[in-house]
Amino acid sequence: MAVEHRNLHNEIKEKLQDDIMQDALSRFADQYPGARLKSYENVESIDALRDRLRDMKLYTADHIEKVADDFEAQIKARGGQVYRAKDGDDLKQCLLKICQENHVQRIVKSKSMATEEIHLNKFLEAQEVDGQKLHVRETDLGEWMLAVAGQKPSHMVMPAIHLNRQQCAKFFSKELHEEIPSDIPFMIQTARRILREEFMTADMGITGANFGIAENGAIGLVTNEGNARLVTTLPRVHVVIMGYEKLIPKIEDAAKIVRLLPRNGTCQRMTSYMTMVDGPTVVMQKENGKWVESKRKQYVILLDNGRLKAAHDPKMKQAFQCVRCASCLNVCPIWTLVGGHVYGHIYSGGIGAILTGLLGNMEAFGQFSDLCIGCRKCVSICPGKVPIPDLIDELRARYVKQYGMAFPEKIAFRKILTNRGIFHKLLRIGSMAQAPVKSGKFIRHLPLFFAGMTKGRSLPAISDNPVRDRISRLAKNNPSNPVMTAAFFAGCNIDFVFPDTGESVIKVLQDLNIAVVFPEAQSCCGKPALGMGDRESGKAVAKQNIEAFEKAGADVIISTCPTCAETLEKTYAELFQDDAEWRTRAELFGAKVREFTSFVAEQYEKAGRLKPTPGGEKITYHDSCHMRRGLGVWEQPRKLLQAAKGLEFVEMKNCDKCCGMAGAFGMKYSDISLPLLNEKLTNIKNTGATTVAVACPACMMQIGGGLDQQMPNVKIKHVADILAERL
Amino acid sequence: MEKVCQNWPGEAFDDTLVNPNSWKEFEENAKAAAAEIYRLPDMKAAKAKVEELLQELEVNKTVAVGGDEYPALAKLFSDLKAEGKEIYTDKFEIAEEVPTADLGISTAEFCIGETGSLCVDNYSYEARVTSMMPITNLVFVNANYTTKDVDTAFQVISKVFDKGYMGFVTGPSRTADIERVLSLGVHGPNRLIIFAMESGLERGSN
Ligand code: SF4
Ligand code: SF4
Repeated sequence: MAVEHRNLHNEIKEKLQDDIMQDALSRFADQYPGARLKSYENVESIDALRDRLRDMKLYTADHIEKVADDFEAQIKARGGQVYRAKDGDDLKQCLLKICQENHVQRIVKSKSMATEEIHLNKFLEAQEVDGQKLHVRETDLGEWMLAVAGQKPSHMVMPAIHLNRQQCAKFFSKELHEEIPSDIPFMIQTARRILREEFMTADMGITGANFGIAENGAIGLVTNEGNARLVTTLPRVHVVIMGYEKLIPKIEDAAKIVRLLPRNGTCQRMTSYMTMVDGPTVVMQKENGKWVESKRKQYVILLDNGRLKAAHDPKMKQAFQCVRCASCLNVCPIWTLVGGHVYGHIYSGGIGAILTGLLGNMEAFGQFSDLCIGCRKCVSICPGKVPIPDLIDELRARYVKQYGMAFPEKIAFRKILTNRGIFHKLLRIGSMAQAPVKSGKFIRHLPLFFAGMTKGRSLPAISDNPVRDRISRLAKNNPSNPVMTAAFFAGCNIDFVFPDTGESVIKVLQDLNIAVVFPEAQSCCGKPALGMGDRESGKAVAKQNIEAFEKAGADVIISTCPTCAETLEKTYAELFQDDAEWRTRAELFGAKVREFTSFVAEQYEKAGRLKPTPGGEKITYHDSCHMRRGLGVWEQPRKLLQAAKGLEFVEMKNCDKCCGMAGAFGMKYSDISLPLLNEKLTNIKNTGATTVAVACPACMMQIGGGLDQQMPNVKIKHVADILAERL
Repeated sequence: MEKVCQNWPGEAFDDTLVNPNSWKEFEENAKAAAAEIYRLPDMKAAKAKVEELLQELEVNKTVAVGGDEYPALAKLFSDLKAEGKEIYTDKFEIAEEVPTADLGISTAEFCIGETGSLCVDNYSYEARVTSMMPITNLVFVNANYTTKDVDTAFQVISKVFDKGYMGFVTGPSRTADIERVLSLGVHGPNRLIIFAMESGLERGSN
């Protein structure tokens, strides 16, 4: 499939300057989380419901052929017809035949993502049946307005969220050829009147399905407007167009979806209408002035378009857990800034990248998958627990395998990152020159080099005295009779940008009577390459690190960077899935890895040092995405701060929202990164704190750079520094 | 009238699943979803309330279903007709008149506490157009038939749902597609009025 040539940077800029959209999205992003939680107030455990939905969907993916066969048999037994379309073209031909056989002239549609995915309307509107052009109307209010406007939906559930009432009124006026005032109730009543006419004169109704039940052949439609009820009631032909992922085995499984979908999607305990249609039903039509009853014709078309392949893919089958509630967009720091159009396809946001890739458009995936910064916010609320960033990583790796990497990345990873000698030498040269831009265009893919990052924040300086050069001095303070030995994995940022924090880490550990060693053969954790889908380079550095730490033979491996910790602990073992020897070594290595703050909090607790102390200077804390949602660590750093003498801990608004750094993203998409940073700075300012604490060096770099330029009187400190100051 | 199940209480309900216990939660949640609820002791009270509504809403034309299942409703409809109200209950008449009717009277099988939903059996064409097309929908339901949550509702449904058309109705038709401003009545009714009957809504012996 071809991709249009697009200038993503320009499109992003344009969206960031669209005040109407910015206003709508930021208000929505503010209100959504609270409204969602409120709708769940009368539910015992959200998590239990999510697990149940995930398990049911995974079971279905594992048995997809059987479930689809049962569904088909049940519909046929009730007099409906079932077709299976392998792709969009197949579906279009099949549908055209149905139109011809039934002499269909006018079609009404209720929302169906599957038909948008294959651009069905455009096709239908170009067809003739019995010598007449087909007349097709969307009946969902938002979709109808967008069709009139010739625009694409920007959100799966709220397609027109990017428009205001004045813009909507313009589209009404255009469709009706009369001046329509921008009065919302008036517009609603106008839509009711003209769309009612469409329902009553339509020959065919096309719907999607939120679920299809194999046990009895029913399809379920979850809507608020009720248009789907009219689409399935008034026309004499009903066509259901649905993807295989909508199938569920049992009637009772529908409850597993509808207890979550409305709450997550629209913050309602239930939408106005949840309708189940099972087999052909009666329709009344006027013939020669007399009403007669007949059986409506029902057709169900199951669309494959890459879905069956995904169902059989051990990793990608998790996409089946998606119920298209769009809540992952609602909480996504990137989506809520740029809106849905930038993603350029029907499915937007992180899940959109995945679906677009799975549905066969890997090139488009390659283009917009890097708009996911892996913050995992979506994973924490997704009703089906779809691990969006992990699936994106997987697809990226496949993309790299299929298409290879761009030349600069390839050089950066294969030739430099995997060669510790060259890599560290380059970093040292960088520290002397302090001019990363000069080091060539491939360099920005390496950690620490942040070309184009100076607007609104300062560049971090590369230290000429990294941790590895200080270690012989620091090791002298190791306890003579230690309770254990800790090997320190510094990661590039602590080692070369924040070596003072590295020193703090060592001091805090030594104070706990722990001996600290620093295996010098350690290198970058490999995340920059892994994040770009380069698993070969990732494996190479993983092996170097594992070997280096095996030799050190320590009791624990301490990491002060949550991204490194996550990579060492989880990703390494996954990388060597097909290599028994290295997998075992990676697992043994990973089992020793401990994130610094959670480890220290545990030790302090044991030693009775974790009791809150009376306040003093105000301090707030920023949760790193990887720390909070990747590692699940958020209470421990707070406890450490509350126990630290002379500090009064205060929370900031949206404490766990991404600061905009996210690896290479921060400089590749600085247009997006800066608004995120500025929002963070505002939230810090509003607490009145004089210090912001972090437990992640990447956040420290981003927020620190912003503070330096915009709020120099607020300090940023790693938790390790705060603890070390109080020893 | 064609239904998914001709006798929900007999074939699908049992006391552990369907009972009066979840009334309060149902009432709260249905109101939160913008439904209007009247809990009424008997059909006499219902008739008085209907008459009040017909006046208040300035109803000219009513379409109504459920009379063949509930004798008390059949009586209510025929009484209203006798009083000179324009009310249609025959399915072909409903098909003809519904586009210009301003009130649709229909029935629901039970109430769902967790969500404030009515479980409706709309297999018949006339039940569907009656509840969807007029701007106001008045629904009769037995106040003693409530389920705790959506799971129990589906346990009930799965006993009898073999084919047809059914689902949940939770408040009136709504949209937030323009500026996320909640607007009612975009395609279906803009008022959903529930008459929850403490007695009098017993089924006939058909
Ligand atoms: S991935 Fe999850 S949150 Fe996103 S649309 Fe699908 S179900 Fe909803
Ligand atoms: S991980 Fe973060 S950036 Fe990626 S899709 Fe989810 S919320 Fe958006």
